[in-house]
Amino acid sequence: MKKWIAFIVLTVSFTFSSCFKDLDTVPLDPNLITSGTVFNNPDAYKQFLAKLYAGFAVSGQEGPSGQADISGIDEGFGQYLRGMWYHQELTTDEALIGWNDQTIYDFHELDWTASDGFTYAFYSRVFYQIPLVNEFLRETTDEKLGSRGVTGQLRTDIADFRAEARFIRAVSYWHALDIFRNVPFVTEADKVGSFFPEQTNAADLFKYIETELLDIENKIKAPRSNEYGRADRAAVWTLLAKLYLNAEVYTGQKKYTECLAVCEKVIASGFTLEPQYQNLFLADNHKSNEIIFPITFDGINTRTWGGMTFIIRAGIGGSINPLESGVSGGWGGTRTTRQFVEKFPSDLTGIISEFNPDKNYPKVYVPGSYQSTPFNGSDSKNALTSPKSNKIYEGYRYFAQDNAELVILRNPSSTLGGKLGDNGADGTLETGGANIKAGSKGLYYIKVDLNNNTYVLEKQTWGVVGSATPGGWDNDTELTWNAELGYLTAKVELTAGDIKFRANKDWVLNLGDTGADGILEAGGNDIKITKSGGYEIRLDLDSPDYTYELRLTSFDRRGIFGTKGQNIDINTLNDVAIFNNGYAVLKFKNITSAGKTGSNVDFPDTDFPMFRLADVYLMASESILRGASGASKAKATEFFNIVRQRAYTGSAGNITENNLNLDLILDERGRELYWECHRRTDLVRFNKFTTADYLWAWKGGVSQGQAVDPKFNIFPIPSADISANPKLKQNPGY
Amino acid sequence: MRNFFATQTKTMLLYIIVLFTANLLIGQKLVTGIVKDAQTGEPLIGANIVSKENTSSGTITDFDGSYTYETVSGTTTLVFSYAGYNTVEEVINGRSVIDVDLAAGKILEDVVIIGYGTVKREDATGSVQSVSSSSFNRGAITSPQELLAGKVAGVAITTGGGPDEGAQIRIRGQSSLSASNDPLIVIDGIPVENGSVSGNRNPLNVINPNDIESMTVLKDASATAIYGSRASAGVILITTKKGTLGSKLKIGYSGNYSLGTTANRVDVLKADEYRTLVEATYPEGSPARALLGTSSTDWQDEIYRTAHAQDHNVNISGSTASIPFRASIGFTSKEGLLKTDKFERYSFGLNLSPKLLDNTLQLNVGLKGMLSNNQFAERGAIGSSLSWDPTQTPLNAASVYSGYTTWLDTNTGFPNGLAPANPIALLNLRNDQSEVSRYIGNFSADYRFKFMPSLRANLNLGYDHSNGDGSLFIPGGNTVAFSFQKDFGGGINNTYSQQRTNSVVEFYLNYKKEMKDHDIDLMGGYSWQKFYRENSFRNSDAAGTTAFVLERKNIAEELFLVSLFTRLNYSFKNKYLLTFSLRSDGTSRFSPDTRWGLFPAAALAVKMIENNNNYLNNVKLRLGWGVTGQQDIGSPYVYQPVYQQSLFNASYQFGETFINTYRPNGYDYNIKWEETTTYNVGFDYSVINNKLSGTLDIYQRNTKDLLNYIPVPAGTNLTNFISTNIGNMVNKGVELGLNYTALKNSTTSWDISFNVAYNTNEVTKLTATDDPKYEGVPTGGIAGGVGSTIQRHRVGFAPASFFVFEQLYDENGNVLEGQFKDRNGDGAVDDLDKYLFKKPAADVILGLTSNFKYKSFDFSFAGRANLGNYVYNNVATDMGYIQRLYHPTNYLQNIHRSGLVNNFLQQRNLTFSDYFVTEASFFRMDHITLGYSFDKLVGNYLRIYATVQNPFVITKYKGLDPELGNGIDNNVYPRTQTFLFGVSVDF
Repeated sequence: MKKWIAFIVLTVSFTFSSCFKDLDTVPLDPNLITSGTVFNNPDAYKQFLAKLYAGFAVSGQEGPSGQADISGIDEGFGQYLRGMWYHQELTTDEALIGWNDQTIYDFHELDWTASDGFTYAFYSRVFYQIPLVNEFLRETTDEKLGSRGVTGQLRTDIADFRAEARFIRAVSYWHALDIFRNVPFVTEADKVGSFFPEQTNAADLFKYIETELLDIENKIKAPRSNEYGRADRAAVWTLLAKLYLNAEVYTGQKKYTECLAVCEKVIASGFTLEPQYQNLFLADNHKSNEIIFPITFDGINTRTWGGMTFIIRAGIGGSINPLESGVSGGWGGTRTTRQFVEKFPSDLTGIISEFNPDKNYPKVYVPGSYQSTPFNGSDSKNALTSPKSNKIYEGYRYFAQDNAELVILRNPSSTLGGKLGDNGADGTLETGGANIKAGSKGLYYIKVDLNNNTYVLEKQTWGVVGSATPGGWDNDTELTWNAELGYLTAKVELTAGDIKFRANKDWVLNLGDTGADGILEAGGNDIKITKSGGYEIRLDLDSPDYTYELRLTSFDRRGIFGTKGQNIDINTLNDVAIFNNGYAVLKFKNITSAGKTGSNVDFPDTDFPMFRLADVYLMASESILRGASGASKAKATEFFNIVRQRAYTGSAGNITENNLNLDLILDERGRELYWECHRRTDLVRFNKFTTADYLWAWKGGVSQGQAVDPKFNIFPIPSADISANPKLKQNPGY
Repeated sequence: MRNFFATQTKTMLLYIIVLFTANLLIGQKLVTGIVKDAQTGEPLIGANIVSKENTSSGTITDFDGSYTYETVSGTTTLVFSYAGYNTVEEVINGRSVIDVDLAAGKILEDVVIIGYGTVKREDATGSVQSVSSSSFNRGAITSPQELLAGKVAGVAITTGGGPDEGAQIRIRGQSSLSASNDPLIVIDGIPVENGSVSGNRNPLNVINPNDIESMTVLKDASATAIYGSRASAGVILITTKKGTLGSKLKIGYSGNYSLGTTANRVDVLKADEYRTLVEATYPEGSPARALLGTSSTDWQDEIYRTAHAQDHNVNISGSTASIPFRASIGFTSKEGLLKTDKFERYSFGLNLSPKLLDNTLQLNVGLKGMLSNNQFAERGAIGSSLSWDPTQTPLNAASVYSGYTTWLDTNTGFPNGLAPANPIALLNLRNDQSEVSRYIGNFSADYRFKFMPSLRANLNLGYDHSNGDGSLFIPGGNTVAFSFQKDFGGGINNTYSQQRTNSVVEFYLNYKKEMKDHDIDLMGGYSWQKFYRENSFRNSDAAGTTAFVLERKNIAEELFLVSLFTRLNYSFKNKYLLTFSLRSDGTSRFSPDTRWGLFPAAALAVKMIENNNNYLNNVKLRLGWGVTGQQDIGSPYVYQPVYQQSLFNASYQFGETFINTYRPNGYDYNIKWEETTTYNVGFDYSVINNKLSGTLDIYQRNTKDLLNYIPVPAGTNLTNFISTNIGNMVNKGVELGLNYTALKNSTTSWDISFNVAYNTNEVTKLTATDDPKYEGVPTGGIAGGVGSTIQRHRVGFAPASFFVFEQLYDENGNVLEGQFKDRNGDGAVDDLDKYLFKKPAADVILGLTSNFKYKSFDFSFAGRANLGNYVYNNVATDMGYIQRLYHPTNYLQNIHRSGLVNNFLQQRNLTFSDYFVTEASFFRMDHITLGYSFDKLVGNYLRIYATVQNPFVITKYKGLDPELGNGIDNNVYPRTQTFLFGVSVDF
């Protein structure tokens, strides 16, 4: 029996010990790699680096959501840029939101608490990036790389990666300093695990970020020498500039001279302002030579519910056409306040007079060889109209080639009969007659009189004349055919005065606008120009009614608002929730500079310009005004006007040295940089964020705005972290 | 050799027994004999023989059923008993040889199944309750969970509304915050996992409810601790029906047919009311008015239907070639109330239980399987049916979106993505189906050693495999409004599959010895279990556009559990019963430093009154203590530092290249078991001539090191929340079970059973540091603002208490919209003024069952009540406000009536008001059944019956249904009211 027992004991213990080994499992999913083996793959270093950058752009390892980086909040809300945008924009005159998400109203009303979920999410994002960088630095020490036998080019690349990783950490620590001020402090010396990080203070954190940036300044790649999307020395300088510009707020120490010095380095490093302001915010803005450091997005490869998807789509609703912003639909959330809109001159869209809409007049159709599909009778737009319904139809057609041919149809479909031509080219029309022939290419006037079956086909040129034009009433400024737009245009400098349109430099056929209704009449009244400036004049002779558009081109082009169907005011608290109150901001679009929609109408391709050159010019200008040594106010004005000139595409907006002051710079920063996450920081620096110095709609929770407790100049440390880390003390007042 | 060995042993054992008892028995008379099975004539091993006059004197039969008993003075009658057989008394009357045949009896009434063994009911030391098939709930029941609802004190079962939907089971409240609160389910000895394979609705639907013999609930730790780390939420043991040895071939059929309707509807405005309200709210010529239609549509009528269901089962049982068997096949088909929702299942079960090797080896072979076809309706249709403007027609021939009326974006002419989708389109244009198969095979061999009949070895092997394949198809070509995608043609074409395999090997030795005053039952064993699952999926739009294709294959994960366990049951004079158990569990989920957990338990029971024929017939006191664990928190790799590669759509641009990123995931190397210590005091009693019997239990459960998903100190980990062991929780409660035989005579019987349980639950610790200002862990997501939550786990409160503002009212008691109490008195009403108000869990749950028989008629009903449970009416807060009528992107929406009644204007004023947290105590009648039985009309037995399921609910709650697992009423699938006709026949 003992033998039996011994046998059983032996068998059982053998079975046990082998089965106990089963408990040592490792992931079976090839997408999950243990930390011990991941760096066997040399690409892993760059892929890890890419995650550090991607931490600004996506919310997890699956786009647009899935396998989230942080939790405790809806994944889209927990995205870095969206969180930053909530804190930097929703709290200011530049933006408010009409949703009912949790405590979201508290941002614009400036009455948030330490338990705010959005604040905790953004704070968590900041303190997600920092340990992630720390982990990267721990995994790329000389010792570790040596032990893994990493040498050669990869070793050199990793040195660059490390500098960039430290830059990314500095960006997040700067956000922490700017928004939360007194935060827990961890570096690569603190390993992952259970411990309570010490709380740092503004002076120490400022010093740390500055020291880090100065240390990596010469380790990171030279300006404009890195791959797109990755940080370079200019990015380091720009971050230093932002740090120095706000140093007085953070620590009480002025650093304007240092600020100016690094700004000038950036200005000298080869970046140039994007000629068209709008192009900075489009789907192909990666082509811009102005953006110093972007957060990149892509409709296919970098998808998120936060980031640019949120910024663009949340700002569309009501009657705003989402397709014009390159997205499938809006989310009807964010708008701006009257106070912000009023920072722009009242003619903010530049359109003085608009084309008048089509009217439904009797028509005949004139298909011909000039069409992209020759003799396409079913193109219902290809019509001549009879505004008086008197069987006399007229209109214009542009023939891009010589010897164009056409026919007249009573009905858009030729199969229904009624095709008229001209046998013998005698000016009379015959049913089923020969094609009508034109001469050399150009714009032709066509008139068909079905009372007596005659027609007129006459080539014409058109120009604009008048006291407002450079040529006065005698010399025409010629309008040229814009094939893409389908109408005649001219770019003219106009002064206050009158204009008219006329054909063939002759008064025989001239058009004016009686009643100023946008519809042109033969021999009509002169058109009044009240504001001098550069204009684009568009003449549309293709509509049933002849109409025109006057576009002021030398205006501040930065006020890109959606006003259709929108009220500028948000009168009651109820109105905050309704999208139609407050102008929409349509600055960012998922459309390329060539007018093409991005790769995906749900997720924009547009990159977010975190740092760009115009900001640096304005920082340089401001730091001079605030007392940076070694530069004159003239230099400050010059920097200021560089930005202005792009805004007005000309010198129309330039200011003089005497007009430059700090308040103007704050307003200019608003106009130039709105919705780019600078506003709260700027308002705090000018002490206008919480004070009664500057009020905007619903600041402090009342319609006309009111001052709030100065504690709101910084955000509270989220109560979740206060509870998790006993070493933390709450910011004053919370 | 073996015979020799056995004979030796036998002789030796006899010798020992003789020696042991010699002192007491000198001069007494020997009685010998053989105890056999009355039907088969097989000898019964280990049967008990005791003196009726002196119960401490007795013996047991050996392997060939023979016994030798030396009578003690005063003994005139011997009592022969054997587990599962009827007890027989024989007067000695001078005989020296008494052979006895015992007839198989009502097994379940005598014996309760506990983990790794059985125990006589009267000897149970823990809080164990079993419900046999005769007491199960009736009606159109497709899932085993429903059988048990309301039957056991302290067991709350909340079923969902869909066909074959799973049910939430809570035994004695909630014991964990983030880890699973589902009890461990053991089917014929095989512990199964809580989860379900993809495409399946209910993890327990592998068993046809008709095949279940009994369900046993182990409630206190002295009973559950033998299952160690998985027992914190209680254990339910399911035993399926088996054949009996020697019984005749029996064929049975049971079937039913039923019709189900919605018992209740959500109260939204009718078309006329709606039109009047829109016209009163928006001026003439406004865009809102322009949108009003001329129809009168009840959108809920459009999505719900009368659901047909049928269920057919055939079983054959008996014994051929001395092998008892039972085989069954079943077919169930059940429509959902929501159109296009459907469940179909083919199931089979087979049990063979032969005895071999001179009856020393009992084998059990079981095979259960099912094949189900599911059609899943889009449940979003429930919410959108409530939202749709009742003045619109559902169908519109002019609509390019397959003819379904659709709200369009006025700017683009494309479907308005913010507006509710047409619910009928959601149902009809979506083809979401799955095919799920599962089989569970179990083999157990129980060997009683010939040389030592007290010793058994038991080997239990189990294999549980399930496979789910599913697909979701929505047509493209931009004809479907709710899957419109301008550039790529829209639609969805997804497929997925999952396999799950769960293998079990368990082995134990059991030594059971009854000796005079000391009975010993010692068991020790080993268990190994592996869970493996593998997923594949492919998602794309209908056209398969590259940018929308997301495909992953064979994403596998595995989990191992290895355990050693032992249990000692000791009884002294059959009056004092002691149980001690110990289990050591290891899991691959935790690190080598923390993966082993030790789970001890002890219990003492005293039979205070036994077989007293007065009013107090039997009273047994039970005292129990034990520690159980929990480790079920989802990911099996939580302690390991791993890097996760991104999918292509979350990559990052460097230059012209998009880089798939590597992310180091957050982890907690020190994560370990959550531990629950339970104290239980209980009484089992039967009184008034055994007419009234039942149990009374008082318990406290202290859970420590809660597996809690909480914020990490910022900067210390690679994420902001991790699962870690922080927090304590206490559950306290009282449970009373009563079974009363109200009437019993030759023509009439009436049995009533009633149970009531009171439970309180409080979180006592949540953070590493005791911060009294900590607001707790947000939970309970609601509609009305993305990411909004309405509940918190906070120290000093029940888990998931509602976290709300205190509503202010005018002097007439009307709600002052948007006005809340400044509870902290700081002069401002802000987030700091929210407070914890009530909780979703009921204080008291009651169950009532009545079975009445008169001659051939039977009448039964069963009902349940919850008292003190609160519900947040999320339908009212999400839909009950006037501003909702018209959306600025130009569409109309219906509102909940509460918005009209109270004239609520906007949602931000409602979402967090305590006005919407209302008491939802209820009594639900689960079923009423009337049946009639015929003898010899067809076959041996025929019963026909009619049942109404869910005939009524009594409650003050104004929403759709007060019974909700999480206390949040948001577009729930309505529960069915079923009218059923059924028949069962035995041949």
